[in-house]
Amino acid sequence: MGTGHTSSVRRAGFVAVLSAAAVMPLVAGCAPPGSENANPGAQTPVRVNTDLGTEPVELTLYDGAGLKKVDDALIAAFTELHPNVTITARYDPDDVQAVNAPRVIASSDPPDIARVIALPGAVKNRQLTDLGPWADAYGWEQLPPGQLAMYRVDKNGVRGTGSQYTMASGFTVTGLYYNKDLAAHVGMTRPPASLHELEQSMSAAKQRGIVPLMAGNKSGQVTFSVQMMLNAILGRDAVNDWVFNVPGATVDTPGAVDAVRVVAGWAADGYFPKDTNGTDSTTAAGRFAAGEALFYASGNWDAATLQAKMGDNVGFILPPVRDGDRPVAMSDPVSNFAIPAGSDKKNAAAAFLDFLRSEQGRQVVVDGGFAPSGSGPATLVEPDTLRAEIQRAFATLVAADGQVQFVQNATNGMSGTWLPQVQMLVAGKTTAADLTAAVQSSYEQDLAR
Amino acid sequence: MTTATSLSGAELPSGPPGPNHHSARRRARFRRGVTGWLFIAPAALMYAAFVLRPLLTTIWYSFYNWDGISVGTWVGVDNYRFVLTDPQLLSSIGHAFFLIIFFAGVPVIGGLIVAALLQEIKIRGLGTATRTLLFLPQIIPGAAAAVAWVWMYATNGTVNQLLSAVGLESVTRAWLGDFDWALVAVGIIGSWLGLGFCTILLIAGIGKIAPEVYEAARLDGATFFTTFRYVTVPGLRAEIGVCVTVTIIAALASFDIVFMSTQGGPGYATTVPGVQIYQLGFTESRVGLASALAVVLTALILAVVLPIQRLFRET
Repeated sequence: MGTGHTSSVRRAGFVAVLSAAAVMPLVAGCAPPGSENANPGAQTPVRVNTDLGTEPVELTLYDGAGLKKVDDALIAAFTELHPNVTITARYDPDDVQAVNAPRVIASSDPPDIARVIALPGAVKNRQLTDLGPWADAYGWEQLPPGQLAMYRVDKNGVRGTGSQYTMASGFTVTGLYYNKDLAAHVGMTRPPASLHELEQSMSAAKQRGIVPLMAGNKSGQVTFSVQMMLNAILGRDAVNDWVFNVPGATVDTPGAVDAVRVVAGWAADGYFPKDTNGTDSTTAAGRFAAGEALFYASGNWDAATLQAKMGDNVGFILPPVRDGDRPVAMSDPVSNFAIPAGSDKKNAAAAFLDFLRSEQGRQVVVDGGFAPSGSGPATLVEPDTLRAEIQRAFATLVAADGQVQFVQNATNGMSGTWLPQVQMLVAGKTTAADLTAAVQSSYEQDLAR
Repeated sequence: MTTATSLSGAELPSGPPGPNHHSARRRARFRRGVTGWLFIAPAALMYAAFVLRPLLTTIWYSFYNWDGISVGTWVGVDNYRFVLTDPQLLSSIGHAFFLIIFFAGVPVIGGLIVAALLQEIKIRGLGTATRTLLFLPQIIPGAAAAVAWVWMYATNGTVNQLLSAVGLESVTRAWLGDFDWALVAVGIIGSWLGLGFCTILLIAGIGKIAPEVYEAARLDGATFFTTFRYVTVPGLRAEIGVCVTVTIIAALASFDIVFMSTQGGPGYATTVPGVQIYQLGFTESRVGLASALAVVLTALILAVVLPIQRLFRET
């Protein structure tokens, strides 16, 4: 009797919760979530002024914690030039910043300068300042076209064209590190100048029992190899169009399948370490430094560690392309800085963005181990170092206008598709054709939302 | 209507003597009711604000296509249809159920055996030492434990060193990067974490079983296994129920261990709903879909746990 009573009460409670749940959306039907943020950005027009004057100005900046060192150095250099400006920086862990940035820049008191990764979404939601007037005043249209494309979004959310919304603090650059001792050992007398030579060297390494290409695929590093081949076979424009969401852009093409098939072949031939799916990127860099592999496909962020551990024994080249092609490589903004629409100090914030491409700003970024924004005379690096080699490679890349963005950045959900797919590719659990189809389908699903 | 009138009319004569008396008693009951409500009000308000409201908001969001910022659009049950048909999301639910073997099965059975052995052996100090050792994993956060296990499972980690030491070099591999073994490897981390919790709970439960029963069993010549089967297990019914419930919830709602050890990889081999909800909601800004998956997961957990509760409660 007692049990029956309790259970009927419990049942009644359950029914109540369920019915509340059922009623809730109906009640709320008139006010969908997010309505309270929907102020269609009647941005107050600002009179463009490139002169910061002498009145005190306080700016705030928001970025990922991994970039604190270089950002703090940039801020110090900028405020030295403009003593009336103070910039207060706030950092969150990098992945947290990426997740929080859309909410932070949409808040009622947003920072004046913020790194924005999901650019089309922020533009669509009218959270960012159209930098057009400042671009005219400062002459930003002189920037290398490959860089400018990364700052632009058009009315339909397609990147690469339209108004400018951002400016990069600097760039990453990816390519191949190689172990010079092992190179001599396998008879590689000079760095491979073409894809053909690269494959010859890797094959020679394999024959001598050396891992040809180090990759920490637990972190998805085989994606570097895949994109290296996509860049080489499809070319810069096709890859960038896809990353920039140009209508009709696709990687579900015979060319892309061929590109992915090359990497699948490398995996089948044992060119990657056997445990690549269980190795993260930090471990991979350590194992390459310890002399386990001939090549390591990665970016400038590993340079300091590799130089410290390997000294003169390590070299860096841009990814080889087909004979006669111009160099092309992944090179993303370090921080793609935008001015949130709600900022009330846009002139001062824009002056900071312009500083990023100045000679002083570029030097700070180079000293921080990255490649500089804009273009200009060679910046100062100790010659004959790995870092100098990387800066030379980057200068060549910019001169050839071969900067391409990471395919993982094509949509918000893309890295969540590439990572498992390349892990399946090296384990032989998917084919090149299935991979490109899966990636394209997930891409279209993301864009349809 | 007619029935109601006739019923109340029929009740009147046998009811309380006077209308005055009746209302006074009702007033007293009302006052007692109000006082009762006042007492639970602070807790009830907190519960409503921090449990019920988020729960209902999640259900509400699940009917929208929403990026977390701009205005959401109503999509009805589309998110649920996607959750229940997308092979990848379905397989993540399957993985969560597979993890029950390691998160619930191993700790509960292992805990029972350890607790029964300690009851049987009774060497001074052994009980305390075992309890401390087994409970140690409980005080380490799951995320930290996962990081430690990542090192142990690495190509040159402890696990492979041990295997090589006993001549099993041929089976060594990067366990968390292996399509066939990653989910099992993740499950073992869960077993390691859950075993201590179950053992402690069951040892406490055995303490409540009258020693006379064990003595009587021993006098009757019962073996360890008979005692275990007919004294220990029935006596621990309630504790086993708690262990099973808590560990099954831990398996189905697992997040920290998987997120820190594999992030769902390699491929989709270890994806679980908890990690998917995080990725959909925070990385991919698909708040509506993440909410729908969360609601489905909650419903699944209730559907599994409520019958178990009943099973262990009935005598």
